[in-house]
Amino acid sequence: MSFHPGGIAGAVGQTEAKPELKVTAVNDPSLWVDEHGDVLYRYALERVRKHDVAQDLVQETFLAAVRTRDRFRGGSTVRSWLCGILKHKICDYYRKRGRETAFTDLEFLSDECAEKFVPEGYWVHMNGPKEWKPEADEVMHRDEFWKTMRDCLGKLPERVAAVFMMREMDEVESKEICATLLISESNLWVMLHRARMALRECLATNWFENPEVQH
Amino acid sequence: MPNPRPPDDTSTFQEHRSWLQLQIVLFICRFTPTCPEVVRILSLGMDKELSLMMRIKLRVHYLMCSFCKRYMKQLKYIREVSREFPEKIGDVSDASLPADAKERMKAALRQ
Repeated sequence: MSFHPGGIAGAVGQTEAKPELKVTAVNDPSLWVDEHGDVLYRYALERVRKHDVAQDLVQETFLAAVRTRDRFRGGSTVRSWLCGILKHKICDYYRKRGRETAFTDLEFLSDECAEKFVPEGYWVHMNGPKEWKPEADEVMHRDEFWKTMRDCLGKLPERVAAVFMMREMDEVESKEICATLLISESNLWVMLHRARMALRECLATNWFENPEVQH
Repeated sequence: MPNPRPPDDTSTFQEHRSWLQLQIVLFICRFTPTCPEVVRILSLGMDKELSLMMRIKLRVHYLMCSFCKRYMKQLKYIREVSREFPEKIGDVSDASLPADAKERMKAALRQ
């Protein structure tokens, strides 16, 4: 099951493979729900964490897709096209949230792992980052790794996770995130810094430096 | 004499060398930010371009601190796997749309 949220733009290239098949898939929206619904829902759920909101977002995605399917040229798969729409819907959801409540979270990790540094400002030797052994490419093929990643993301507070995922998964520039969520750049940077710090720590403890994981 | 001491000039050379090393370390300490600051700056560098001076300072800091260098590599790695994550979530999550939600969506799509 592959999932590529950046799919909207890829309107040209790789079209020739099986055009008729893709056209039928696009023309019969009732098939979308069974074919793509669960994958879209899983992604939405990781992002917004609420079942009802995730369901609404998936439904809105399908409806928006029906309205705009004339513009789908078959350059990407139906799924990546739908995922691209979902990504925008998630962004809209957070935009609304940002209008309603202050979207900053400066409480989380406010000590910034102070115990990792000696007062003079250097790493405590025992607690400094250790080398991460298994090479990046190997890890990426292992479901257990992605489960760990998912758990670690799940441990971040909601708003911290939301800005982290916008920045690192959707690759939105920081200025744009600030404009969307109505937060200041310095607050965003604090949140991103702490998200990265916590995620690094969590991946280190539960995967890279975990003796129970068979590398 | 049974145990000749090493010639004097070697020991002064060693003294000079350790003095020099100490000076270099002190210089690096004064010239570059502390580790908690470096860690913060490294994260900032993932979101905006750092000044040339700051990039030089980081390089110099790495000479002395392999922890911060590792931290920097791991941040880049985290970015890489985060971008990959949406592709994988379909495989590692077992959440699925409830049947009634699916029916509702199909009904909405038929209209």
